Amino acid sequence: MNHNAERSGARALVESLEKAGVEVLFGYPGGAVLDIFNCLTDAKFQFILGRHEQGSAHMADGYARSTGKPGVCVVTSGPGATNTITGLATANMDGVPMVLITGQVPLSQIGTDAFQEADTTGITRAVSKHNFLVHSADEIPEIVAQAFYIATHGKPGPVVIDIPKNCQQAKTTAQYPERVSLRAYHPESAATGTQMARLAKMLNDAKRPVIYAGGGVIASGAAKDVAAIAHRANIPVATTLMGLGAFDEHDPLSLRMAGMHGTWAANRAIADADLLIALGVRFNDRITGKLAKYASKAKIVHVDCDPASIGKNVGVDLGIVADVKDVLTTVSSRVKSASHADWLEKIAAWKAERPMSYKPLHEAVIMPQQVVEAIDAATDGRAVIVTDVGQHQMWCAQYFRHSIPRHFLSSGGMGTMGFGIPAAIGAAIARPDHMTVAVCGDGGAQMTFEELVVAVEHKLPLTVVVINNGCLGMVRQWQELFYKGNYSGSILTVKGRSANEHLEQDLEYDYLPDFTMMAKAHGAAAYRVIDPAKLEPTIRKAVKSGKPSLVEVIVEPRANVYPMIPGGHGVEDTVFD
Amino acid sequence: MPDKNALTEIYRLNCFVENKPGVLARIVGLISGRGYNIQTLNVGPTEDGTVSRMRIDVLGTEKVLEQIMLQLRNQVNVIEVTSRRRQQ
Ligand SMILES: Cc1ncc(C[n+]2csc(CCOP(=O)(O)OP(=O)(O)O)c2C)c(N)n1
Ligand SMILES: [Mg+2]
Repeated sequence: MNHNAERSGARALVESLEKAGVEVLFGYPGGAVLDIFNCLTDAKFQFILGRHEQGSAHMADGYARSTGKPGVCVVTSGPGATNTITGLATANMDGVPMVLITGQVPLSQIGTDAFQEADTTGITRAVSKHNFLVHSADEIPEIVAQAFYIATHGKPGPVVIDIPKNCQQAKTTAQYPERVSLRAYHPESAATGTQMARLAKMLNDAKRPVIYAGGGVIASGAAKDVAAIAHRANIPVATTLMGLGAFDEHDPLSLRMAGMHGTWAANRAIADADLLIALGVRFNDRITGKLAKYASKAKIVHVDCDPASIGKNVGVDLGIVADVKDVLTTVSSRVKSASHADWLEKIAAWKAERPMSYKPLHEAVIMPQQVVEAIDAATDGRAVIVTDVGQHQMWCAQYFRHSIPRHFLSSGGMGTMGFGIPAAIGAAIARPDHMTVAVCGDGGAQMTFEELVVAVEHKLPLTVVVINNGCLGMVRQWQELFYKGNYSGSILTVKGRSANEHLEQDLEYDYLPDFTMMAKAHGAAAYRVIDPAKLEPTIRKAVKSGKPSLVEVIVEPRANVYPMIPGGHGVEDTVFD
Repeated sequence: MPDKNALTEIYRLNCFVENKPGVLARIVGLISGRGYNIQTLNVGPTEDGTVSRMRIDVLGTEKVLEQIMLQLRNQVNVIEVTSRRRQQ
């Protein structure tokens, strides 16, 4: 190809995406991106057409979470762009690398309330890591390179490139840069020798250490290094929700998940520890509960790539701004072997005292926790689990034995209902050799169900499991526990709805919609399970088919997520089933 | 949101940023979006035409200020930030 060849800004964009290594582009067309779509048909990467821009954005997010590579998405101006806001915010909170390209009205029309004009850079500023408004076609290759750099360096996040239509049409000879240099953004930072020496000493001096691993461990690819140090010095490991998969939960050193719905052993151990080594975590309020009581006996070491996260919520004794993997590989040789026998004995006692368990409420009715156990059994714990948000999300965290990084994908920070199905599609497209299971509630599944068509079109090995409890379970649970059982707006069946909704209680079918009919209408195989004996065989059949399928499981509506530390409380206030 | 009773000191932030469209909005949004009130804001050119200087006075505690500084330094267009406490 002639290097100085003149081509349109749209063509330069597609070329730049190819140079950036893009293999899959998710998106949805419209007037302001017609020039870009016109070039997509001869692009080297695959294009995946979603059915709603929120869905396309979550697909790019799921693709990124499952691979670590940036997810890329293109949408039109105005409503196309505003439909992606939830997708951006979700990725931004969880530090997921993404590049979103939005069309914009021509530069000359910006600010005139033109058709499908929205102030995209203004609107996305607070929910993205960075954004660009392109002013000329000549800027496109450089801005694309910068966007990918920013999305993937420092704490990863979504970057928006807003491209006015006239810039897509204008001619340019600008080329994709060999390397990116940003004047003001240099996020790389490494631990100092003194910090490393202190960390090693603290580790070797500790009597009751706990490693506390978050999403940053997975993002930096440090799971093996965590395991190496834990095994050498017999240090128990707890994780956050985002850290599930960073440490094998079958390992006797695993405390499993800590926090509001974490295990008794994990929360007890953190409360009693004399050293907490927090790796790639944010100390979010769902984790810490009452701050004054959090890890109050412990010295806290916090390693994170984001300087702004260190000391933000919890005071630390040693804060290290660096890549988690770099820190662990460096400190590893200085960690002495230790048995911590007394400490591990205490922990074993806490595990035995309060194992993760639930009580069936009715022998003929499936408990939702059982569904998650069945998915674990049917997939030998090897499925990529993508959750929606609610009670089922917590049960997936608690009752699946997580052991593989990037095999548990969930909207942690934002808690976005509607994430599950499209993110699972993105993950399945990224790794078609894996079994992917999206676990959704009956509420969240309705938010982005339309995307199931994409799984069918691409014959993805994806099973959607809808845990149908007939209600917005997590809301219902809080109303039961904290609002005297006033189930306002949280019941999805007609039966049990409050009087102010003015519903006739005479429906012949109480559970609407029929998810199996919905799935079939979208071209997927579908099964409904009510009988506990059929649960695991049905899930096994669906998952092993390797085809897009949906299993709707009617479960006990009154089940709650336990243990639970009510917001703002400490571990001693844990409520059990 | 900051605790109103804790807002006792005025801090002056001196911020050198790339002179590009949208940067002012980004910086102001970052501070006001976290519930902190900007008392005074002053933006002007420097000898280097590609760099602007922002002087921002915010009411807050030292901890708040530290967070704002860290967040500002995380911004792609922020070259340098310093701060000092001002007499009330
Ligand atoms: C987009 C969005 N809207 C509202 C909420 C608040 N919310 C959190 S969990 C929940 C209930 C979810 O219900 P369902 O999908 O049926 O899952 P379940 O809790 O029953 O397992 C709601 C409404 C949210 N997290 N996201
Ligand atoms: Mg539900």
